[in-house]
Amino acid sequence: MNLDNQSAQSRQDKLRQTIAHAAHLLPMQGPIGVFVHHNTLHAFQDRPFEHAVIEASHLFGAEPYMSEAAYRAELARSRIHLEDIDSVLESEPDATVFPGLTRRSLRRAMMTPGVREFDAATILWRSEQGDLAKDFRQAALRALFDVCLSRSVVLEEEPAPLRPVDEVIHPWLIRLCSVFLDQGMAYWPMPRRERGFYESVRTLLSQYGGVFPKYLSGLDEEFRRQEYFSFSSADAVLDYLDTQHFREAEWSDVLQAELLALPGWAGLMHRLEENPGLAPHESVPCSLMDFLAVRLTMTRVASRMGAREAAPQESPLKTQEKRRLSRAARVYDAARVVSLSAAEVARLSDADWSTFVNEVRTCNGMERRRIFHLAYERWHEREILRGLGSHRRYRGLSEHPGRPSAQLLFCLDEREESMRRALEEVDPEIETFSSAGYFGVAVDYQGIDDPEGAAFCPVVVKPRHAVVEQPKPEDHAVLESRRWRRRFLGLLMRNSFVSSRTLMRGWLSTTALGLLSAVPLAGNLLAPRRYAQLRDWLNKAFLPEPRTELALMRNTAPSQGAVTGLLVGFAPGEKTESVASVLGPAGLTRGFARIVAILGHGSTSLNNPHESAHDCGACGGRRGGPNARLFAAMANRPEVREGLRARGIDIPEDTWFIGGYHDTCSDDVELFDVDQVPAEHQTDLARIRESLDKASARNAQERARRFESCPTDAAPSAALRHVEERSEHLAQPRPEYGHCTNAVCIIGRRSLTRGLFLDRRAFLVSYDASQDQGNRSLSSLLAAVVPVCAGISLEYYFSFVDNDRYGCGTKLPHNVTGLVGVMDGHASDLRTGLPWQMVEIHEPVRILFVVETTPVRLDETIDSNASLKQLVENRWIRIATIDPSSGRVHVRRENGFEEFNRQLERMPVALTSAEWYSGKPQHLPMAWIPTTAEGRAG
Amino acid sequence: MDSNDRRGAGRVTFSQSALVFAVLAPGGVFGALALLWLLGWTPPERVVSRITGLTFSAGVLAVASLIFRLASTRGTAVVVTFGNWFAVHEYRFPLVLVADRLSLPFLALTIVLSGLIGQFSATYLHREGGFFRFFLLLHLFSFGSLLAFAAGSFDLLAGGWELVGITSVLLIAFFHQRPAPVENALRVFGVYRACDIGLLVAVFAMHHWAGTASFAAGFPTLTSAQSTVVCLLLLLAAAGKAAQIPFSGWLPRAMEGPTPSSAIFYGAISIHAGAYLLLRAQPLLAHSVVSSVLVIGIGLATAIHGTMVGRASADAKTSLAYASLTQVGVVFVEIGLGWKWVAITHILGHATVRTLQFLRAPSMLHDYHRMHSAAGGELAQTGKHLEDLLPQGVQLWFYRWALDRGHLDTILDRWMLHPLMQLSGLFAKLDRMGLEDTARKPQEVAIALRNPAGEGGA
Repeated sequence: MNLDNQSAQSRQDKLRQTIAHAAHLLPMQGPIGVFVHHNTLHAFQDRPFEHAVIEASHLFGAEPYMSEAAYRAELARSRIHLEDIDSVLESEPDATVFPGLTRRSLRRAMMTPGVREFDAATILWRSEQGDLAKDFRQAALRALFDVCLSRSVVLEEEPAPLRPVDEVIHPWLIRLCSVFLDQGMAYWPMPRRERGFYESVRTLLSQYGGVFPKYLSGLDEEFRRQEYFSFSSADAVLDYLDTQHFREAEWSDVLQAELLALPGWAGLMHRLEENPGLAPHESVPCSLMDFLAVRLTMTRVASRMGAREAAPQESPLKTQEKRRLSRAARVYDAARVVSLSAAEVARLSDADWSTFVNEVRTCNGMERRRIFHLAYERWHEREILRGLGSHRRYRGLSEHPGRPSAQLLFCLDEREESMRRALEEVDPEIETFSSAGYFGVAVDYQGIDDPEGAAFCPVVVKPRHAVVEQPKPEDHAVLESRRWRRRFLGLLMRNSFVSSRTLMRGWLSTTALGLLSAVPLAGNLLAPRRYAQLRDWLNKAFLPEPRTELALMRNTAPSQGAVTGLLVGFAPGEKTESVASVLGPAGLTRGFARIVAILGHGSTSLNNPHESAHDCGACGGRRGGPNARLFAAMANRPEVREGLRARGIDIPEDTWFIGGYHDTCSDDVELFDVDQVPAEHQTDLARIRESLDKASARNAQERARRFESCPTDAAPSAALRHVEERSEHLAQPRPEYGHCTNAVCIIGRRSLTRGLFLDRRAFLVSYDASQDQGNRSLSSLLAAVVPVCAGISLEYYFSFVDNDRYGCGTKLPHNVTGLVGVMDGHASDLRTGLPWQMVEIHEPVRILFVVETTPVRLDETIDSNASLKQLVENRWIRIATIDPSSGRVHVRRENGFEEFNRQLERMPVALTSAEWYSGKPQHLPMAWIPTTAEGRAG
Repeated sequence: MDSNDRRGAGRVTFSQSALVFAVLAPGGVFGALALLWLLGWTPPERVVSRITGLTFSAGVLAVASLIFRLASTRGTAVVVTFGNWFAVHEYRFPLVLVADRLSLPFLALTIVLSGLIGQFSATYLHREGGFFRFFLLLHLFSFGSLLAFAAGSFDLLAGGWELVGITSVLLIAFFHQRPAPVENALRVFGVYRACDIGLLVAVFAMHHWAGTASFAAGFPTLTSAQSTVVCLLLLLAAAGKAAQIPFSGWLPRAMEGPTPSSAIFYGAISIHAGAYLLLRAQPLLAHSVVSSVLVIGIGLATAIHGTMVGRASADAKTSLAYASLTQVGVVFVEIGLGWKWVAITHILGHATVRTLQFLRAPSMLHDYHRMHSAAGGELAQTGKHLEDLLPQGVQLWFYRWALDRGHLDTILDRWMLHPLMQLSGLFAKLDRMGLEDTARKPQEVAIALRNPAGEGGA
């Protein structure tokens, strides 16, 4: 008895391990309201990139790279260069195929002029009426084909089996998942869901008197049986595995396939099981075991009822013959491009023939695409490094003469690159810096309108401090009235929402008031910007805004919130620490301007479930305004300044910090706590405000060149109106392009990139190696920055190369489900990844990090961080360095750093950014835009 | 009808031309664009959206002038007769357009909402591969529904009705590269075809009994029994198009298309076309107690079904689809009770609300979040009274019933579709047997005859 118990226990443990292992393959995306970018293939990060994408493509049925046709198109328009293909081939081992033919020359010919792809499904048609038929008109080619065919055998893997059961069980399973995980969309929540998915579904479906589809009839009986034996979900899973006679060794494959049949829903269950706090409104007890138990019980009933009988298939003989044909065609095509004749092929010895066939086989479509991709990335790398190197050599590191008129600290986001450039163009005396957009203040923040606090920091950081926004003492009454009015408005909205959907209330409200919706309908569609202004105005008129301050002071010993366990506010030492953690690594330790602005960022758009994906990644998919405001408030405290002085950061008395927020969609810039700015700083404030306004219009213009619907000759002010309208348009599926086109991350001083047109494609991180003793700053910067940027870049890569499987397809049929995600239509898997509209102009390259340091220092830093090392060594990211003192550039290849010694030509010069980009919608090369006074003169 | 042809007077009034223009313009645009496309020219997006905007703006003006004219002259209807399309013996297919107090609200609704949807879609479908196809279908749809609403006879109405049906199906299958939209579109197509038989047979019956299906000059005169039969046939067609019980299952499946097409079809126009048909047949319906009761019964059942199923739907579009269904059910009740004006007002209000809600469906996440935070993080839980009211067993049963959408599709599949498929499979087998016998070459037949056991087969 005891023994039995023990073995049952160990079987359950084994099962749990198996599931935990398989769960790694599921998407990491949580509920869509807070979107955090991450590597789509995070589960494969321990393998080299090139292997991982192929493995994943087999597992998920997805594409590893762009299509071969897409690469060929890039080749045709010279985005891929032959010299890069050659250099990729040269970097890989060569071999003799048979006397007179080397692997390299065979591959080279198979790349260009290139071979065609053949498959069993189309081969007959192509040989009868398609391109092969055309070939066959030439007797020599026909003979070549015949020889290849006569020497070919079938040696191919079976195609994946169909899963007919899925069609039967998915409609039910999807509906059950969606009501179980629902966060408040359905009027009637699923009964008893607090008991978990398996139990609640079992109770629900085991009731007598139900009607089931043909292939699921008996499901209620099966659940009743399980209920009778009081199965746990693990019991139900084990029961299925036993009755289907799966051995323990097969479990992993079986369960993995079951989980990957609906990866979106299973993935969300898994995420919420790991981290129930991700549920935006109602936490439901999720468990992957429960999900599997329900799924497998359904599968079992369906296969018992005969749903496994697939549709009649073609005779295996016929299929095999077609495969033999397509295989022969591949070899034939390779022989054709290396100009082998039929006679030559016929003369090959059996050994040579099989080596040849093997070589052709290994250089299949996937392999060719890999080579194309590497060549595609090489050119990109060369352009970037050449540009940076040349800028460094010919322009030098011009230090700013005199005191800057203002300093601005941005997020490292690549969308801020153009904003910084625009600011520096508008006012050359401005200096800009950047760091991760939570600005070192990892907080749990609660604004006056928020019901509860939320973490404003990267997802890997857990906030320890809580900060609450409070009304100023004299404005308490205003807040009370605001709260009351908001509650009233909320109630009104809620009521109209519910009542338009119910029977009696819906009847009354639609009959009596229905036509009133014509106003928002017409307003939103015919004059979106005006309508939004009207709405804002009404909001302001109805909802008074109290002036607020942040409750961040804590001078006493740690006082923790009773419930949250968070520290309330920051003690002086903690404030100093936070501020120093940003200013130190950024190299902003001296030469402060009279005014320093810190700008967080976020994005506002309408009718967009993926809105949060445009927000600040460093703030965990939220808007970074509060962090900036908090940082400024801290940096203005005298005790903090004192603490900083002790750390060698001497902020003069006359420097004032001010927080702000940049909306990357509407390009609106807001500055906080303007009323607190001392009188003697008013002129500085006015100057910075003016520069910001001008810069945001220019920024809008630069962004607008990518939007087809904006006229190419739009002036900055017109472009600003255009982007404002985008953020307020009900029908706009691409309010902004977000991180699309991101490709580079430059970690170094601004002087390295100042005046360089980087096309909004480069993340910029301020880092001064000369002030960094022992690489401490570098290692903390890399630890924070690399995962965020790599996550963004890889998510864009995968969502672009296979938008259907890794991304979530076009937005147009998306259907918000349970407030946790989107489906296609009324019943599909939960779609994860990025929609096509967000990635359509992306260039899928792995992100290239260029760090201003020496290869030795960088290697040391990377070696000390295991996860970083993994990313670098498995080539999920590309790495290069630029020497802080000599400006020499090194690139990391498989076997370490090698010097990048290309000719460094002078770069094209444009007087302003606008001159360089105007009228051009495509990706643009680097250019030099002089922004300093001396630069203009020279 | 043709004897007192009003166009025959030789003078075409302004109102008449306005009506003809409003109805035909989208059809003309469709025809012209489709022709150009067939000739190999796909107009750029800007041209398409400009043309769409102009067409519908002009249409709105035309309908507005019609309304103004009718209101100011206190007239009852504007009628345009083009004579007969064709005539075979007794049968004539009259081409008559009528704008009366019933059709005008529908015409206005259609043209205004189509225009707004066109405006929405120009931005929403920007850069989408099917941009042009969508607009072609939008024009064809609005032509179809305008024709159905302005038709002066059931024959012509059936024409518009079919256009609405086919565009609806093609837009559900808009994303035809994925299997689900195509499967669901096929399903909707099946339901439409099955139910449209009602309309066609009704037209046939009216011709048979009254010699005409035109209502431009008074309704066909039928006996009470005949009225009942015609009404029931029309009810079948109306119930199918309006997704009433027992056909409701197709409505959520229709949510596969782009959001704006879901809005105009299942929030606004197409879903109310069935109600229009019944409103048109009101004089007949008034004579037939049986049909009136049935209309009320179906409407009531659908309303209850819709509201219950909608309550258990956790996705934006399904819950909106069932919300629509609920109100259309109520509209049927109103029609059955003879409350014509209540029904029309209800339809106008409901269509506007629902269009906006469908278009805003992707916002549901943020709307809910806003309500939630405005309420201070505690929203009153809905559905509590259902839990309090029902005993637990009943509650669970009811919830499952709602979750499976009243089991309607399951029942239809198991006891209608499946036997039907089996039957057709049987016929296919019989058919093949016959065909194969005739197609066999004489030698094969001879061989087959010599080896009856079948071992001599190919």
